[in-house]
Amino acid sequence: MATPRSRGLFNSPLERRDAMWGYLFIAAPLLGFLIFSAVPLVSSLYLSLTNYDLASAPKWVGFANWSQALSLNISYLPQLADEASGELLFQCGRETVPASQVPNFEGKPVREGSKVLISCTPEMAVIGQVLPKDFEEVYEINFLGRVYVLAARDPIFWKSLFNTAFMLIGIPISLALSLALAIALNQNIVGSRFFRTVFYIPTILPIAALALIWLWIFNPDFGLLNYLLRSLGLTALGNTNWLQNAYTVKPALIIMSIWRGMGYQMIIFLAGLQGVSRTLYEAAEIDGAGGWGKFRYVTWPSLTPTTFFLLITSFIGALQIFQEPQIMTGGQPYFASTTTVMVIWQNAFRDFQMGYASTQAWLLGVIIMALTVMNFLLARRWVFYE
Amino acid sequence: MDQPSQTEITVDNLSLSPSPPQPVQQITKQRRARIGKIIAYILLSLVAIAILLPFFWMLSTSFKEEKGMFVIPPQWLPNPITLANFQKILEKTPQTDLPRAFLNSFFVAITTTLGEILASTLAGFAFARIKFPGKQMLFGLLLVTLMIPGVVTLIPGFILFKWLGWLESFKPLIIPLLFGTTFAVFLSRQFFATLPAELEEAAKIDGANMFQTYLYIFLPLATPIIATLFVLGFIARWNDYLGPLIYLGRAGIENFTIPLALASLQGTYNLKWTILMAGSTLALLPIIILFFLFQRYFVESIAITGIKG
Repeated sequence: MATPRSRGLFNSPLERRDAMWGYLFIAAPLLGFLIFSAVPLVSSLYLSLTNYDLASAPKWVGFANWSQALSLNISYLPQLADEASGELLFQCGRETVPASQVPNFEGKPVREGSKVLISCTPEMAVIGQVLPKDFEEVYEINFLGRVYVLAARDPIFWKSLFNTAFMLIGIPISLALSLALAIALNQNIVGSRFFRTVFYIPTILPIAALALIWLWIFNPDFGLLNYLLRSLGLTALGNTNWLQNAYTVKPALIIMSIWRGMGYQMIIFLAGLQGVSRTLYEAAEIDGAGGWGKFRYVTWPSLTPTTFFLLITSFIGALQIFQEPQIMTGGQPYFASTTTVMVIWQNAFRDFQMGYASTQAWLLGVIIMALTVMNFLLARRWVFYE
Repeated sequence: MDQPSQTEITVDNLSLSPSPPQPVQQITKQRRARIGKIIAYILLSLVAIAILLPFFWMLSTSFKEEKGMFVIPPQWLPNPITLANFQKILEKTPQTDLPRAFLNSFFVAITTTLGEILASTLAGFAFARIKFPGKQMLFGLLLVTLMIPGVVTLIPGFILFKWLGWLESFKPLIIPLLFGTTFAVFLSRQFFATLPAELEEAAKIDGANMFQTYLYIFLPLATPIIATLFVLGFIARWNDYLGPLIYLGRAGIENFTIPLALASLQGTYNLKWTILMAGSTLALLPIIILFFLFQRYFVESIAITGIKG
């Protein structure tokens, strides 16, 4: 380029003509980048500072949406006390009694001759009265015998964040399992091609169809899962209504996502394993390392870039989980399976609160972007290992 | 897995062979490898069963008569076998039109994927083989897209398409992809960069312009990357749910794609699992066929996406 004869940017008309072709060829993706990524990214930030219902023009509201989404409050929920004596109050059956009276009630029959016994519980303040204005309960937390109420202006958004965070529990389980599978497959197994195919296939199939299959498997009365549990003698577990129970709905969704995603992780681990150099194993053997020692000091360290890569991509995926709960549970019961993308979707495309939904999307987006940047930085190590 | 304890070695030593230590070590090593393999087979088989069982159950249910699904213990194999569920699911009703959804999904998946490949390989070729000022900077700019999560651009995208009057049509699903995708540009650039420099020199001597060089020399060499991009793109579009839900969810059923149609089937054939499973079976079929046709490129595509980071 820096030849003395060069005039301007190009050495020759030919080079100039080639460069024009170059610009022409990259025009489409660059335009696409502008129209479908850059402009939306900026306008999304602008929208988050407005109220916009698609019908009238966006109305500037400053950071009102952000504070609406982020406001969080923890209040101590006191036990009520008798105004006159100052004694703490308890609820015993239908009666409200001071602490000193509790022994007279606790454990006594409800009625003469009844087998039902009275039990006393602390009489707590009404939640609504301890919370700041406009705040609603997200969770009640029992901590060291005291009760706290976690409250937010937008409790459903916070519930969705906790639900989404809960889904992340599946990731280490899935990674451990897929690593075990990859190690198993890496030992000259007869039929390894068959196993690889079987493990990989769920990851490429439409989630909508898989969600229907799993709905049928989780069916409480005639589903395969409960049938298998009952035939193993686990009758109590086998009567669970997996997707309608606030305690089991998230684990059920996690089971399904592990089942679906394991194969991809296994294949990436397998590629990582095949990159581990033989000589390292030989050196370890000479040093007297056994199976575990070789794993601990050779395999695992060599696989850390792979693991980081999978960890981060899985996080990014799990943070955006939408389809399975949307189709299988609709976020029920009691928002126990509502994920953040579902909340964004509902606010934007069901309630047409475009401004507020943009705020929530940005909040989630910032977390994902941070993880993506980390992924890119780590990718250098990963590519280097390849 | 674990190191065999010292006693085990001596037992082997005594009972199996009174020979010097080296063969003994080899025996225990072989033995350890054999145990490892047995554990591996058990693990692999258990997981394979866990993965296949739901599919088996789906297939089995889809060939059952309706009363067959409420039998306890469940029938593993349908008896009698019936095709009625498939007939029923393919029937057009006011709520469902699965054959139409298949056509729609094929149409969207194929147009978007071909458009994406054309635009992206052109740009990838330019980034890899043509000299022009600002190239590195523009490529870096494009890579930024990979860092923007889709959830952030979703809402402004919707507003844009509403403003353009494209809602309830396939345009919002198809047109953005005709501009190419960063991922595909990146992959094809990496691919074209590996080809030898003599290729365009020869083309230049023959007087070909850059487009001819791309079309007649580089594109034919790019079949592996094109096949990989096709496989990845087709699957992504066939399985896409959020996009169709937002842009077509309010449209009539004649615009539904397969995932949308499947999700809505649940309402139409509520608890009719035999029919729903027939629908799932049909929805999985094209991807399974694609998988077995292009298996080689699937393996390549995984390796590539893994490295992509």
